[in-house]
Amino acid sequence: MTIAAGIGYALLALGPSLSLFVSVISKKPFLVLTVLSSTLLWLTSLIVLSGIWRAFLPLKSSTWWPYSILIFTSVAFQEGLRVLFWKVYKRLEDTLDAFADRVSKPRLYLTDKMQIALAGGLGHGVAHAVFFCISLLTPAFGPGTFFVDRCSKIPFFLLSALIALAFVTIHTFSMVIAFNGYAEGNKVDQFFVPIVHLVAGMVVIFNISFSEIIARIATLTFCLQILYFIAILTLLHCGKMVWGRLTENRGRQGSM
Amino acid sequence: MESSILESIGVEIIGVMSPVSICMLLVVLLVYALSPSNPFSAAASAPPIRTAANLVYLESPSDSASQKLEGALLNALVFVVLIAIVTFLLVLLYYYNFTNFLKNYMRFSAFFVLGTMGGSIFLSIIQHFSIPIDSITCFLLLFNFTVVGVLSVFSGGIPIFLRQAYMVCLGIIVAAWFTKLPEWTTWVLLVALAVYDLVAVLAPGGPLKLLVELASSRDEELPALVYEARPTVPRNTQRRGSGLELLVAGVSDSGSVELQAVTRDNVNRNENESRGNSEYSAVEFGSFGSERHESNRDEGERLLSEENAQDRQSLSSNSSGYSTVIVQSDRATQFSSGASEIINEEMSPLVEMTGLGNEREQLRRDGSEMFSKGIKLGLGDFVFYSVLVGRAAMYDLMTVYACYLAIISGLGCTLILLSVCHRALPALPISITLGVVFYFLTRLLMEPFVVGTATNLVMF
Repeated sequence: MTIAAGIGYALLALGPSLSLFVSVISKKPFLVLTVLSSTLLWLTSLIVLSGIWRAFLPLKSSTWWPYSILIFTSVAFQEGLRVLFWKVYKRLEDTLDAFADRVSKPRLYLTDKMQIALAGGLGHGVAHAVFFCISLLTPAFGPGTFFVDRCSKIPFFLLSALIALAFVTIHTFSMVIAFNGYAEGNKVDQFFVPIVHLVAGMVVIFNISFSEIIARIATLTFCLQILYFIAILTLLHCGKMVWGRLTENRGRQGSM
Repeated sequence: MESSILESIGVEIIGVMSPVSICMLLVVLLVYALSPSNPFSAAASAPPIRTAANLVYLESPSDSASQKLEGALLNALVFVVLIAIVTFLLVLLYYYNFTNFLKNYMRFSAFFVLGTMGGSIFLSIIQHFSIPIDSITCFLLLFNFTVVGVLSVFSGGIPIFLRQAYMVCLGIIVAAWFTKLPEWTTWVLLVALAVYDLVAVLAPGGPLKLLVELASSRDEELPALVYEARPTVPRNTQRRGSGLELLVAGVSDSGSVELQAVTRDNVNRNENESRGNSEYSAVEFGSFGSERHESNRDEGERLLSEENAQDRQSLSSNSSGYSTVIVQSDRATQFSSGASEIINEEMSPLVEMTGLGNEREQLRRDGSEMFSKGIKLGLGDFVFYSVLVGRAAMYDLMTVYACYLAIISGLGCTLILLSVCHRALPALPISITLGVVFYFLTRLLMEPFVVGTATNLVMF
């Protein structure tokens, strides 16, 4: 039972990413490399952030404002990194195009570009899930489970797996949205991504700040609902945008 | 719809990375399964084993830090000296053509490793999971496993997949034994081995360099346990040739990008004055290239990069600004893509190029020969990567992921360097350095941060 529970939590957090990886990414070696490098980038950002925040730890868990500063700086830093990632990707795309010309293969298709963005986002999401959820799961494989003070009904592992799943979705698809926004110069998409990231982070804070007042579990459920609402919003926005680009592209090809 | 280039770039890198990943994963699982869950139980307090790697000093938890460090340094020194002596012996034997002896010795050691060390690991697995199996069946299975392994090491006619699987097996078994070393000794030993690897492969007169040069001058296989990342499915020659060339070119191409991404001070400047810079880079290239090639070739390159500047701004800004590394990798691209039958349309108008036909041809053949054999990775690299990850697994899962990512990215850097340099390179130094650095950063900085935030359900 214990091993089953541990594997269950892990699959809950990473199952969708795993199927995405197997069905889309693993067939193209270049995308695998993109996932790896993006994961490494996220890890580096986490190490830098923890290096900065190490001096202030441990934070008091009763007050909420230090956490909001933490979330704000972290999100700002990671969004800055996303811009950097985009610039690197831009150069990569040019090089790949030049290379494709040289070996007289077709240039990158629109779907290829979107897949690279998806792979980058998946790397970020997987890194998030791995470091915030999976790496704390070791005790879940043993007998017994763990409850945090904040919530005495749902096991901590289940909660963190649920939150991680929402964040994986947000990270994965917001990268596609962001890359598309940068490529098109679309301001709405460019600002959509950091705001979603920040709001998602703040929603989790919300559960700290209000847990003293309202019933704790109700707050937590509410937070999870908002989090999943944001995740689904990101997913829908991404789907709509990709659909729009694809039909537009097909129309352009048809008219040519 | 024609297949895009995404599918063909990086096939070989993944071909090397996936067995390494499998090896590390299995070692981590083994370490998790076999390490005693209760640190105060009888198994944990059993006396540590004595091997060549801790001849001088046996670490005990009560020693002071300086004592441990001193002892670990001595251990590492003795081990590296032993390895160096053995390698020199190997080179000597190979130099005097004792190839058969060497091969038989390798077979014997493979037999020994699979039979005894592997056998003891299987026994402990059987004990741990209490698998019901009688001793005769177990012995038969082990014997068969070992014999097939020994046969697959050097003889032909064995499917390459089987050989690769046995190489990974050997790596896992040896690495699982090395993880039984005490902690300080392991870390110092890993760093010492990385340094040794660097010296032995790159320094003039280093034993591994001598060995590789001897083997290539005799046009033979290296008489050592080496993992070959050959394609498991044989393709027809035409397709294979072009595919490999394309791959190599792809590797070096993306290599230039990644190298630039690290040191990107003057990217903006490049983009603004890409033309001016590209001339500058051509001059740089000239000063570099004239060491080995005649001058008209430089002229050709200069013209070429000027054309690039007009034609594809991005590419020329790639090759600009950065002196030798980028330009060299760019040139590697040109060689390898020139080798496929598609002649680069930008090369053809250059008259100067035709004078170089022979030299180019020569280099081209070298390159394609080197890569038609596939990338080879020594078994030692497998072992020590896995030792690092296995040691990290004894602390926490988080350090495992961090070390895995660091090692894999180090391996990627090494492979990119390989496609740039076209010579044997040590695979340990970059990966081990990154792995050790990330391990300690994760352990000291990241873990308290992540545990502190995640247990409060704060994530971002």
